[in-house]
Order: sequence, then C-alpha cells, then structure tokens
Amino acid sequence: MDTLSLNKGEQRNLVLIDKPELDLHVLQEAGSLLRLFVFDFHSAKNILHIDHKAANCVTEIYHLAFLHGADSVFTHTRMHHEKGEGISRQMVKFVLDDAAKGEFFGELVIKPDAQHVDAQQTNRNLLLSKTATMRTRPQLEIYADDVKASHGATTGQLDDSALFYMQQRCIAPEEGRKMLLRAFIMDIVEKVPEEGLSTFGSRLSPKDLMVTIDSIIEQR
Amino acid sequence: MLNALLEIRNLHASIAGKEILKGIDLTIRAGEVHAIMGPNGAGKSTLSAVLTGNPQYEVTEGSVLLKGKDLLAMPAEQRAREGVFLSFQYPVEIPGVSMVNFMRTAVNEKRKYTGQEPLSATAFLKLMREKRALLDMADKLNNRSVNEGFSGGEKKKNEILQMAMLEPCLSILDETDSGLDIDALRVVAEGVNKLKTPANASIVITHYQRLLDYIVPDFVHVLADGRIVKTGDKNLALELEKNGYAEFE
Repeated sequence: MDTLSLNKGEQRNLVLIDKPELDLHVLQEAGSLLRLFVFDFHSAKNILHIDHKAANCVTEIYHLAFLHGADSVFTHTRMHHEKGEGISRQMVKFVLDDAAKGEFFGELVIKPDAQHVDAQQTNRNLLLSKTATMRTRPQLEIYADDVKASHGATTGQLDDSALFYMQQRCIAPEEGRKMLLRAFIMDIVEKVPEEGLSTFGSRLSPKDLMVTIDSIIEQR
Repeated sequence: MLNALLEIRNLHASIAGKEILKGIDLTIRAGEVHAIMGPNGAGKSTLSAVLTGNPQYEVTEGSVLLKGKDLLAMPAEQRAREGVFLSFQYPVEIPGVSMVNFMRTAVNEKRKYTGQEPLSATAFLKLMREKRALLDMADKLNNRSVNEGFSGGEKKKNEILQMAMLEPCLSILDETDSGLDIDALRVVAEGVNKLKTPANASIVITHYQRLLDYIVPDFVHVLADGRIVKTGDKNLALELEKNGYAEFE
C-alpha cells in the first residue's frame, strides 16, 4: 500500500496510467485539494482510499478503464468524509470490448462529524460487444444529517440513432463509432492538467495518453 | 422520363414484419418541390426512412433510382454523399461531439467521395459563416455538442444549416414544421427557399398546410395507407386543410 499525505492547504494533481496493482491511501488535511486521474488500458486492480481527516477538503477522482480482449479491471473507491464542509466528485467510466470485464465498487462514507459535505459519484459504462460484462455497485453510507450526496450508474451501448444520424450526414458507421467513443472518453481526458502533475511512476505523460487512446480507438 | 432525379417504382417496405408502404410510385425532376401529406400512420416518415437507408426498415419490393443509380443498393452514408439529405423530424443529440467537428467531418467525407480536396479548418469555418449569414442564423451554436440542449426551433434551424453546408440534390424535410412557432417556421422556410436551385429538388412531408404557405409546392401528393391516393397542385393542400383527411381514412 502506498500512503500519501496532503498537508493543510496543499494542492496535488496525480495521474496514474496503466499500473497493474494500485493500492493508494490518501490522507487529506484541512483545505487540501486532490485531483486524482487513474487510466487503465490493461488488466488492473485499483483500491483508492481517500480520507478527509479535517474540514474543507476537496477530492476529484477521474477514472477511465478502456479494455479489450480478456482483460479485466476491478476498481474500489473508498471515499471517506471524516470531517465536514468537504467536497468529493467521482467520475468513473469503463469502455469494454470483446470479452473484457469491469467491476466498480464505489464506497462513499459520510461520518457523523462530516456535516455539510457535498459528494457526487457517477459511473458510466459503455459495452462495445455482447460478450463484455460490467458489474457496478455504488454503496453510500451516510451518518450525518445535513449533507448532499448523489450517485448514478448507467451501462449501455453506442447510440444507434446517433450512428444513423451521422450516416445521413455522410459519415460511415466505422468513423461514427470512433467519434462517439472519443466523445465518451474526452470529458475525462480534457480534465488532465498540462502542468503540475505527479505521475507516481507512470511511464506515460498526458500527451502520450491521447496518442494511446487514439491508437486503441483506431483498432476498435 | 428525361431528367428524372428520383424515380420510385412500386416501393413496398415493412418494419418488424408489418407492411407500411404498399406500392409507392413517384417521379421527381430537378427544380421541383413535392409535398407529401396524409393522416398519421399513412407511411410518410417511413418513406423518408426508406429513402435514406434507415436499417430499421426492410424494402420488400420495388426500386428507387437516384440519377439512374440504384439507391437501395447503397449504404446510408453513400446515399448522403450522392446528395440525399434528410431534415430529421427529431434531430438526434450527440453529447461530446461539437457542431464544428461534426459538420467538418460530414462536409469532408462528401468532398472525398466526389473527388475534392478536404477543406482546411479555416476554409471550413469561412464556409460555415457564409451559410449562416445566408440563412440569417447566429453562430452561437458552433462549439456546442450536436443538438444537445438546443430548443425545438434551434434544432430545426440547425438541420437547414446542415442542408446548406452539404448542398444536396434531393432534400427530404420530414415534418420540419412540427413544434415550431411562426417566427422559427418563417426562418426555416425562407432558408429552404434560398437553397432552391434549378438543379435540386425537395420532398416536403407535412401533416398541415401551414408550411406550404411558405414553401410553395409544384405537386401535392396524398399518402394514405401506404399508397399515393391523390396528386394535385398546391390547391389540393388547401382543400385538405378545409376538408381534412376523412375521405382517405
């Protein structure tokens, strides 16, 4: 397990790309901000445990798993609001082709002392083949009474009506599928800041990230 | 049959095994505007779906030639590149794909098909500005996702802008007037009229006569129960407005 502590008021952008085993525990002190990006293009197991140890912390988690073949990714987020006035945002997306498997377990805990927390968890999944499978399990445990907490999970396929609309505008289905895939993924990739990143041993820079994603899309 | 742009012969089509079109015959020449009217469920939208290659419908009999080429043998994108354009009754929202990216891809796919060089980003934006100016449409929608969060009127105007960009030889306007207030209707109709040339033709599908006050048809056809049961000039639309479709149902 890797432990990371964010001091009072510290801001940290962390990008982790294609790490097969990730077990990360982040302790956030008052007023600190963590932006965590986790990208997986091959099999991986991720445990992301974030504790707001003090008030006014902000956490944003962006996670994309884009898999094919028989690869699988299991991701468990443990977002623990111990103290109040905190904000957390989780955007988790899986794109699964062939016989790929995805599993997301989203644990969100708001402790009794954590009043006025604002927490959101969103999980969107796209299945590109009939043999890909996704399991998703949001779990909210809320012990404080004056908080905002929401979650939503959807799993679907590429939109046939959008593909036909594009065909009617001269765009062949192969190209249309690539455009829809890119659109699905881009809102996460676009959030990766260009500077001030800790890559925690990742070999890819965010610039290489888009190249990698494009080459995977080209092969779909 | 000289100069026929579109020739539909004995067209039968069904969806999920249910026959909707039961033998359509229609010839359209360059420069003509044809209105297709009829009661709900007559097959008006099915005709537009079949002509544009919507995979949900199955053609069971008949033929359609576009400038002498077998339209039904072409995949949907090839029909579009040959110049068949559908203004959708319900334009589809595509989150995450910007209007500019979408239209530039569309225009360049058509150019590639017709052996032209692709447009650069600058040339494309210039063309889009020109077409917007021609149609009197603001360019605030350029950077938004395709149709996402557009009002009903914005969606229909956006369809006409796409029509202007793609310069089709055959435009099919499917219930373009539905859900429009009178001002939006006028902008849309004026746009269609400005795009009319001696070389292109339009099929205007509508339930009401209202749109035909602005887009004046050369022919009006009544579609009922999958067949064209009556053809006339623009006065037929006025008759229908007065008497309804009761005699055809």
